Amino acid sequence: MSSLIRFFTSVKVAITLLIILTLASILGTLIPQGRSHEEYLLHYGQLANLLEKLQLTKLYQSFWYLTLLFLFGLNLTICTLLRLPPKIKRLLQPRVDFKPPDLEALRFHHSLSLNLSLDSADQALREILKSRHYRWGEKKTETELTINARKRMAGIFGSDIVHLAILLILFGGIISGLLSFRTDLALHEGEVAEVAWAGFSVRLNSFETEYYPNGQVKDWKSSLTVVENGREIVSKIVEVNHPLNHKNFMFYQSAYGWDWDKAEVELLLRSAEAEAGEKRVKVKTGEKIKVDDETEIQLHRFLPDFVLDENKQPFSRSNEPNNPAALVEITKNGEKAFSGWLFARFPEFSQLHPGKGSSLSAELKNYSASQYSVIHVSRDPGTRFIWAGCILIMLGLALAFYWLPREIRFYLRSEGGRTALTAGGIATKNRESFAKEMETIIALLRKKK
Amino acid sequence: MKEATLFPLAFLLYILAAFFYFASHFSRREKLAKSGSAVALVGFLVHNLALILRTIETGHAPFTNMYESLSFFAWSTVLAMVIAERVFRFYRLSAYLMLIVIALMALASSPLMPKEAMPLVPALQSYWLWLHVSVTLLGEAFFAIAFVASILYLLALRKEKAGEKISNSLNPEKLDSLSYRAVAIGFPLFTLGGLVFGMVWANVAWGRYWSWDPKEVWSLITWFVFALYLHTRIVMGWKGRRSAWIAILGFLAALFTYFGVNYLLSGLHSYA
Ligand code: HEM
Repeated sequence: MSSLIRFFTSVKVAITLLIILTLASILGTLIPQGRSHEEYLLHYGQLANLLEKLQLTKLYQSFWYLTLLFLFGLNLTICTLLRLPPKIKRLLQPRVDFKPPDLEALRFHHSLSLNLSLDSADQALREILKSRHYRWGEKKTETELTINARKRMAGIFGSDIVHLAILLILFGGIISGLLSFRTDLALHEGEVAEVAWAGFSVRLNSFETEYYPNGQVKDWKSSLTVVENGREIVSKIVEVNHPLNHKNFMFYQSAYGWDWDKAEVELLLRSAEAEAGEKRVKVKTGEKIKVDDETEIQLHRFLPDFVLDENKQPFSRSNEPNNPAALVEITKNGEKAFSGWLFARFPEFSQLHPGKGSSLSAELKNYSASQYSVIHVSRDPGTRFIWAGCILIMLGLALAFYWLPREIRFYLRSEGGRTALTAGGIATKNRESFAKEMETIIALLRKKK
Repeated sequence: MKEATLFPLAFLLYILAAFFYFASHFSRREKLAKSGSAVALVGFLVHNLALILRTIETGHAPFTNMYESLSFFAWSTVLAMVIAERVFRFYRLSAYLMLIVIALMALASSPLMPKEAMPLVPALQSYWLWLHVSVTLLGEAFFAIAFVASILYLLALRKEKAGEKISNSLNPEKLDSLSYRAVAIGFPLFTLGGLVFGMVWANVAWGRYWSWDPKEVWSLITWFVFALYLHTRIVMGWKGRRSAWIAILGFLAALFTYFGVNYLLSGLHSYA
């Protein structure tokens, strides 16, 4: 058991873990993460199965990566805890049991003889230390005086606060992983959806896309209202970067789309036979309508972004209306007069495929489908630990690097009306400035008469 | 006045500053380095103006495409250098830092970098863009200082080994300490800008603070490398050569986070 603890207290182990974590993390950025089995097969061939078995395709969620993180956290906990008691002792019980040789062994030390009695030297030293914001502990006898003067001692805990913060962030990550709840709501204007586990609903009042003059999307805005027991509680325009927060449930503008499989299109029908044979009709997907006594139109399918796959089968490449196309069938007196795809961007295209023996042609003039907004809902109890960790880590770093502890130990001894003084200083960082500080204090002491 | 005229002016001033710094280097005249520092400062002020004008012209933060981002990274590096010169009272690193700045400015000026401003995509319309990018890049600029100090350290060691005399201002111990002091500034800044502000913004924009996106992971890797730098120094006493190598690797990781991820790996962060 003790050897196990010793293993985890070793900073060498920490450093080894840190190196392994770094290399593992790099590996995860070289292999695309979380793709489908088919994509890996296409990319890596036979290797794909091995990669998936070793969980390299979901590396950051893999058992072994999480185990590494866990060991790292354990190591950090034990390391930090074991070093804490001596630090606290150092803070609470400043050492005053030293002799001149101990001080002369320190990196910064001075020895001098003052033309003052021990009491006045004590007085003078205290004044100087006070003016330079030191606090001290002392031990005094008839002829000897030891003073331990220190300032900014909170700095010795900077690294511990950083480590605690990292543990807090890891803990927050675990909580997020285990307890966070996420879902996406696809809402049409006016639609109300109940939020699972929340006990309230949200209603999408309106959704709009704003564009820049050049046609690029500027923003998506969903006006949402929280409804609880039939009462409207809050409303907010949710846009990207401006989520709605209600009872720890966050609502984000995440995506949008159109119900293209319920599209409505407007067609322009032309008949060469009749001079005034131009007619506009509106028809919905799946619907069959009568245009006049003899003509019927049916809209079979609508695709917003028409392309052909490798088997020459039409499908939609995306949900954006980049190449809208409608599969239309027109019958005249029960006989097929036209059947085929009409393209909004290429009106002449359909004329290449006229129905046989017919002079009828059609154009896809307009199309519309109801738009919906996708709202990402999340409730993540881990975040509070993450933010606490973030604040603590910055505080700890500030302390560790910029609140530098200073400790100066003085030994004074009465020598026939004069006082012999030895000073030794301890500082682990920014030593040049500390050396100057000590020299200044010594110079001030020399001046005291 | 326009950004398009001020940017090349700043570039020219930086080249001139580098000229002075190197002249000081080879002639061993401290005064020339001071002139270099003054010219660099003027270049920096012109660059400031250029960035302000760019912000006014485009109506958004001056780091949303690769051209702007390179220019801003160069600006941060000069800022870090100006600060470091005053805090460390040391000019010897500036000559080499200027080479990095000039490389960044040259890359930004190259015809490969489209200069025209595009309107911001919705995800980037946030003041977190300012906080996240500027603080992170400033942190990385201090890593650049540690990088230069570390390379000079290794070169100085080599010279020492070969029995050559090295000038007092380039003594290895001083360079090692400068590298540490630069990391001591860069590490907290990078933690704040890259990790803390990054997580806060990701949570606001995407609804999760961490997605293991390649750019995030590479920031973490960079952070790990500098954590290694700090710990091997403080607990294992690895000053000097090994420390210098870790700082060099750390800066390279930061560079990869900045450039490589955009061009070589794909993920959420690829806006530019
Ligand atoms: C990425 C994770 C870590 C970060 C960011 C971190 C950060 C820090 C920082 C900023 C310091 C102060 C350094 C200085 O003053 O120069 C420090 C010191 C230290 N760290 Fe860490 N640390 C990490 C992980 C660990 C781990 C896993 C261990 C050990 C198991 C560890 C052990 C120590 C020790 C022993 C010190 C010196 C303690 C002291 O000041 O008394 N650290 N760490």
